[in-house]
Amino acid sequence: MAEKDAGKGLAAVEEYYQDYGSRIRELKRRGKRIMGYLCAFTPVEIITAAGLVPFRIKGDVNEPITKADAEMETIVCPLVRSCFDVSLKGKYEFLDGIVIPHACDSMCRTYDVWKYTLDLPYSHLINMPHGTDDSSLEFYKAELDTFRRSLSRFAGGEISDQSLTQAISLYNENRAKVRELYELRKTNPPLISGTEVTKLLIAAVSIPAEEAAELIDSVIEEIKQRDRVLAAKSTRLMVVGAQVDNVAFIDLIENSGAWVVADDLCPGAREFFSDIAVTPDPIDGIAERYLRKIYCGRTFRERRGGYQEYLEQRFGHIGRFIRDFKVDGVVLYIYKYCDPFGFEVPAVKSYIESKGTPVLYLEDEYSMSTIGRLRTRIQAFLELLSSK
Amino acid sequence: MTEEKKKRRTATEAAAKIGPMVKAMIASVLQARDEGKPIAYTFICCCYDEIIRAMDIVPHWVENYAGICGAKRDAQRFLERAESESFSRSLCTYALCGLGFDAWREGLGEMPPDAPWGGQARPDMMLGSGQILCDPRNKWYQAAQQYMPDVPVYNVGLPWPPYENDYDYREVQDYYVEYIVEELKGLVAFLEKHTGKKMDWNRLSELVDLTDRTWNLIWETYELRRAVPCPMGTGDAMNTMVPIVFMMATQQAYDFFKELNEELRHKIANKEGEIPDEKYRLIWGGGLPSWFALTDFNYFNSKGAVFPVETTYRMVEAVYNFDVDLSKISDPLEHIAWRWLKYWTYWYDKARKRPGSHPDVERLIQYIEDYKIDGVVMHEAFSCRTWHVGLIWQLNRLKKIYRDIPSLILESDIVDISSYNEADTRARIDAFIDTLEAVKSKER
Repeated sequence: MAEKDAGKGLAAVEEYYQDYGSRIRELKRRGKRIMGYLCAFTPVEIITAAGLVPFRIKGDVNEPITKADAEMETIVCPLVRSCFDVSLKGKYEFLDGIVIPHACDSMCRTYDVWKYTLDLPYSHLINMPHGTDDSSLEFYKAELDTFRRSLSRFAGGEISDQSLTQAISLYNENRAKVRELYELRKTNPPLISGTEVTKLLIAAVSIPAEEAAELIDSVIEEIKQRDRVLAAKSTRLMVVGAQVDNVAFIDLIENSGAWVVADDLCPGAREFFSDIAVTPDPIDGIAERYLRKIYCGRTFRERRGGYQEYLEQRFGHIGRFIRDFKVDGVVLYIYKYCDPFGFEVPAVKSYIESKGTPVLYLEDEYSMSTIGRLRTRIQAFLELLSSK
Repeated sequence: MTEEKKKRRTATEAAAKIGPMVKAMIASVLQARDEGKPIAYTFICCCYDEIIRAMDIVPHWVENYAGICGAKRDAQRFLERAESESFSRSLCTYALCGLGFDAWREGLGEMPPDAPWGGQARPDMMLGSGQILCDPRNKWYQAAQQYMPDVPVYNVGLPWPPYENDYDYREVQDYYVEYIVEELKGLVAFLEKHTGKKMDWNRLSELVDLTDRTWNLIWETYELRRAVPCPMGTGDAMNTMVPIVFMMATQQAYDFFKELNEELRHKIANKEGEIPDEKYRLIWGGGLPSWFALTDFNYFNSKGAVFPVETTYRMVEAVYNFDVDLSKISDPLEHIAWRWLKYWTYWYDKARKRPGSHPDVERLIQYIEDYKIDGVVMHEAFSCRTWHVGLIWQLNRLKKIYRDIPSLILESDIVDISSYNEADTRARIDAFIDTLEAVKSKER
């Protein structure tokens, strides 16, 4: 079979999105070792610095969950169940190992199920603390060092500070490019649709970071040069939730008469809007970024000041997106069985509404079977917004 | 609407005393509220029992109160209140019940009408435990601040090392202990700040020692249940968990188990089992019980089945079996941290010796052998990922690396009675008993 080079532009995005993992499969054939991982809390810089290719495991909303149920309870987050199900069905047969961070119960409590059932040559749980205080940060650095040593053994060579610093720089560049991409959403109408952005970001976490950089650059270039201007729509929405690894829901909104112009999602702004600081010990910068700079419900931020200040501390970034991207309404899109985000709903809802922005809260099950119901709710929300 | 349920029959006199003890515990919190003593919302299995006792903090165990509402079949109105606040019904129902109650109480400015056993007192502080164990422990109190913004929260990080193939947990245990100690120091500072009282370190050391002795006594008492016939089953253990998880570091908990120990010895000497004709010995191998359906244990008994052992709420080991000598660790916070870490890693070495094993599975195997077990029963509560994820996998692994032992996974919830169907549950128990009988017949 002829070897293919990395693709460019929206056409490549479409290919990587539709045949998720196709590029990694190609690289595996060329002898690369692939490390699967769940969640934006996996420090991909360490995996890259080890000479391995990190690959974000994604589920499939179109694939009914079947095989997973023989090993994993149905009370687990449906996204994690779907990821496990498609992994069991051989979709990611190229994996050499798996890394799972202690992001939430659904990941942490299923770690052994993943580890023993897939029986891959390598597995590791990064025991990330919930707290962000100084002692939690020190503990997390020690955990990252343990991961670094463990992965070095598997990779067959030391992970040097220099290679870590290079990897940090590479991922920081990618994050900067994504922020540049988001600038294209600020115009009215936006220059790039929410569906296109989501597809690109999903594709970007399925390929090596160097290739992701070129892909994002090529898409930005293509968008800036394309003649077609997106249709004017009256409503600009932001979607807030956990991990959305498909475009079904974003597409539904954009086919209902609104643009999705901002998000607080993974892959999305949550994981691309904060950089790693360059520090003498690169682990310090990595730890600081993953523990303190990613604003996710799984992290417990110690309160400073009064309660309103606390809400600002936790959700202020959402407020800034609403302002900077001229958002008319926010959709809270939360999966069933998601404790970290589920418990935040009343607080985040009240915070956003206090800014004068209407909120629609939707609970979903990570399945195409719910799309009809979601469409009805979205349409009603858009009607409400247009009547204001 | 409350639906009163017939009480479960207990096998031991000790277990029968638990109901009044819990009622008195709830009343004492309400009294403390009236007297102005500091009250803290707390979680079970929190590791900081001695610290709050030494600081004279009155603990209100929120999971306990939700369980009481469940057991009295009076939780639905609080769950519905939480749902009306936009909390999903798929979240931890202990937390939903508590949050619904708090939202209601704070809105009214007084206890909700006919609150079970007088109600859940407004706390002065909320002590979370952000650990590897359970997400709601980080989120519940943070969410409760939506209704009680003036009540401070302290979240204690309490991890333990994962069981990995490529390194031994001892390689990392030192920095785990250091972290836990730092977090506990932070808790002491928080309590001192909010009570205006200084920690009495000598008293704390005494309570640490009392806790060690209580752990040993509990372990020795539960080991007595190996006897045939079994003198006390899991149904009773769902009562006797109260002193373990709500009264640790008190003389009352120690004395309770002293009494239970003596009662079990007496029953064993008289060959007095939980039921007269014991046919099947089962392990409750995982999952919290449905607090509104504890009479299911009596139903098992009616079919000749007993539960001499359970993994649920057996949150202790004999500390003299640990590979560190806790008596030589004089700093009370370090002592607590090491005990915590050694408890959670206790089964790691045993698991390492059996190819394909895992600590949770190894524990099941050990109990199956020690307690002469014929079958495994588990319960999957839909709202709790903490204790109820991994059960299917554990059973599969058990059968793969050990033997094909009959098993049953019941499905319902801890608090939400709408998830429970008595007829269906009992039909499944009947079928399971038939399987046990068929296996026994083959062995005869």
